[in-house]
Amino acid sequence: MTLAAIIIAIVSFALGALLALLMIPVLVWLERRGAGLIQDRLGPNRTNVGGFRFGGVVQSFADVVKLVLKEEYYPSHIKDHRWLFILAPMITFVAALLAFMVIPFADNIVIAGESLKIQALPVEYGVLWYLAIGAVGVIGIFFGGWLSHNKYSLLGASRAGSMMISYELPLGLSVLAFVITYNSIDFNAMVAWQSGTVLGFLPAWGIVVQPLGAIILIIALFAETNRAPFSVSEGESEIVAGYMTEYTAMKFAMYFMGEYVAMNTASAVIITMVFGGYQLPWVSTEMLIENFRYFAWAIMVVMPVVVYFVIEWMYKNNAVRPTVISDGSREFEAKVLSIVMVVMTLVVEVILVYLSSAQDAVLGTSIAVMLLQIVVFVVKLMIFNLFFILVRWTLPRFRYDQVQDLGWRYLLPLSLVNLFITAIVVVGVS
Amino acid sequence: MLENSIFAILSLFLIGGALMVLLSREIVLNAFGFLIAMLAMAGLFALLENSFLFLAQIMISAGAVVVLSLIAVTTINLKRDNLPEEPNKIRWIVISALIVSPISLLIYKTLTMVNRKFQETVDGYGTLKVIGGELFSSWVLPFEILSVLLLAAMLAAIVIARKESEI
Repeated sequence: MTLAAIIIAIVSFALGALLALLMIPVLVWLERRGAGLIQDRLGPNRTNVGGFRFGGVVQSFADVVKLVLKEEYYPSHIKDHRWLFILAPMITFVAALLAFMVIPFADNIVIAGESLKIQALPVEYGVLWYLAIGAVGVIGIFFGGWLSHNKYSLLGASRAGSMMISYELPLGLSVLAFVITYNSIDFNAMVAWQSGTVLGFLPAWGIVVQPLGAIILIIALFAETNRAPFSVSEGESEIVAGYMTEYTAMKFAMYFMGEYVAMNTASAVIITMVFGGYQLPWVSTEMLIENFRYFAWAIMVVMPVVVYFVIEWMYKNNAVRPTVISDGSREFEAKVLSIVMVVMTLVVEVILVYLSSAQDAVLGTSIAVMLLQIVVFVVKLMIFNLFFILVRWTLPRFRYDQVQDLGWRYLLPLSLVNLFITAIVVVGVS
Repeated sequence: MLENSIFAILSLFLIGGALMVLLSREIVLNAFGFLIAMLAMAGLFALLENSFLFLAQIMISAGAVVVLSLIAVTTINLKRDNLPEEPNKIRWIVISALIVSPISLLIYKTLTMVNRKFQETVDGYGTLKVIGGELFSSWVLPFEILSVLLLAAMLAAIVIARKESEI
């Protein structure tokens, strides 16, 4: 292993861990603000550290402190196997975290003739890994609900288990159709396939090539994350809180965080398989590296404009109502943040000027392309997380029989038909 | 050295989990032992760099079989009081182990004798592509027969599970 390979491995592992773990507070905050948006209120926006609110995201860290300091309460009827009772949420959380680790954040970077993967776990069987590890997560839910020794938890656990079993089939079959289309089980090869065009003008994303399969995949992944509208396993109106009724403090937080990590992973899988992953539409990595000069010029023009509008927006919104006397902390926050943004823009501009004027900056160009792709990936990831949140607060929860009906009567036959058509078309074309 | 120690740890988990399934009278521990044994088995496949079997083991055995058996247990509401009395369980297990031990010895001898007669594996022999290619070129008839068998089993299960009036 060369030094570059070791550095890239450490960087991509850190990136994967950060994207999975640091996304949790951001997503919790986004969820509450999104709920506020839909219910015509504000959501948490006042917690601050020294006047810095960051739109209220500090609230999530306050929540973490609360959950850590809470009393570890055990119901008196949970006497034996308490260790398994504690272990159950950890299984769910770790499974969700591990499943995220095979997502490519950028295309393979070539350093000194060596192609290195930008994945936390550089494996070549990404889809299978996601399906396998994702299936283990429900076992934690099952043990938790079972060991709670209470009918509501037991019902929630068996609902989660049976829903997982029934949605695993359409999920697997739609993934199979994608595997046949892309001719690979490697996430990175899938993204590389999607960077071309179909019919000459559309980006060859999964949703264009395989619309039916893409819709089935998205629905099945929604069910896999146990989120609304598929949250029958924790339906408050029927079974209290389902499998996590008896859980408190950090044990509850493990389930809670596991849900957000699973949601983040599901969005990452959706964008990687269906929406072109880290790739800009119409632009493949080779094109990006060859014509980097033009892309750099475009970024140099667009970035100051975007930053200007963001600062404008921030000054407009980061203010108290006119009738309330301000203590000046919000103006101070806006000022500091805008200085930070302007400095960052200047640094990026200088780097881009250097790269676009330098003659043989191959390594610098490929690293810049990698960073650009990571930024595109994170933006797409956030858009899909927002989609998950909007769906949760827009649609009502399905009844349990409706969930099973949808899975077995509609999604399974549709995904089988989709698989047949895909196989026939692929064999016919080749 | 590292490989051997990982193998030893995984085998300990495998045997421990299997014994937990056999010996414990707590249904929760049985289920957990089942899960541990299946995951340790997957680890053994991973140690052989057989990525396909490793993932299939987790996906099917840990993901589907364990979950399905857990669903069955919770559906019939199995309690400790409902289990049959087994007063001489340990004695029976020891006696049957003694009876089976010559066969285990035979299997051990055979495996240690035969293993040099097989072809050396090449790099990447355990990937999905290679296994799929083998399955659909040299082993296509057994594969199809197996799928017909599974289809028959599935049809039979559906017929049994159907309501009487619909037949």
